[in-house]
Amino acid sequence: MRARNIIILLLFLLLSSAYAVICPAAECDVSHGACIAMSGNTLVTLDISPKPAKAMKELFFSVTIKGTKIKTPLLLVLSMPGMYMGRNEVALKQDTDGSFIGRGIIPRCPAGKKLWQADIAIPGSGSVSYRFHVDD
Amino acid sequence: MFGSGLLGGVGHCAGMCGPVVATYTLGFSLQAGHMRTYALPQVLYNAGRITTYSIMGGIMGMTGSFAGVVKSIERFQTMTMAAIGMVMIILGLAATGWFSLPKSRTGREIASPVTGFVNRVIRFISATHTTGSVYVIGMATGFIPCGLLYTAYIAAAGTGATAGSPVEGFLRGMSTLLLFGLGTAPALLLIGHITARKGEWIRKRLYTVSSLFMIAIGAIFVYRAFCG
Repeated sequence: MRARNIIILLLFLLLSSAYAVICPAAECDVSHGACIAMSGNTLVTLDISPKPAKAMKELFFSVTIKGTKIKTPLLLVLSMPGMYMGRNEVALKQDTDGSFIGRGIIPRCPAGKKLWQADIAIPGSGSVSYRFHVDD
Repeated sequence: MFGSGLLGGVGHCAGMCGPVVATYTLGFSLQAGHMRTYALPQVLYNAGRITTYSIMGGIMGMTGSFAGVVKSIERFQTMTMAAIGMVMIILGLAATGWFSLPKSRTGREIASPVTGFVNRVIRFISATHTTGSVYVIGMATGFIPCGLLYTAYIAAAGTGATAGSPVEGFLRGMSTLLLFGLGTAPALLLIGHITARKGEWIRKRLYTVSSLFMIAIGAIFVYRAFCG
């Protein structure tokens, strides 16, 4: 009985451990260019500046959509694959040139992980996601 | 924010702060079986942690700036992390008994300058094992750099940016982090509870292992502070 409880405690610590995470690879290099993703017939481009994209610095997010006309503001959600980092949202407002822009900060992971994911829901076209690295 | 803290408590804090909770619970030799004896330090530890979160959240909300505030406390965070790591190493070393002083034929302790210093440090830290000191430990661990916490701070700064006055910004930021902190508490309370309940059992059977565990986690903290 006692041994079982100890095993449960160890498993709990292990499963929730920040170290025991298998990280998938990045899909695009946002520090050197824009990231492109398709959702149905809609082409969605994400660009982050200034480059290289650095953690703990204010970043400008720019999203361009081709194939669908969107008039409502968009929401970009930043998360870390394999580790719960809370809900980090960036509100994107439509600029005069039709693109969507917003400001946000990507926090630094003290465990050294640098892979982040950005998800954008496109009204009427599903959603797109990008995986990229940020520098410290 | 409470929900975010609750999710993060299980998925994030248990891994990052769980070892600290397990260490101080084991290190403080809390007696299992007496609810008040081990429940109070757990509550105080979490209260200390949430106090730091709330104050920092208030400052983020008041200034409306995340990056600026974090940059100004970065060095303090690093020093805190290193200090906590070193305390964990010392508690681990004390638990191993490796630094017990050799005795002369007359029974008096013989201390070299090095072992004498290490012993004095161990005794000093061991002597501060009061229930109230757990609150201070909790406040200190609230400064440990943490990605999940940073996300909550970003939200607090965001709420402050739209506030009508600095006071309103402070209150908004503080309440944001208060809710977040309360959400993270159940997971850490659970870890502390189980460790306290089984502390005697662990110490009796896994004495050296638990001591080495404390030293290893402490070493990771010190490494991250200076090289991470």
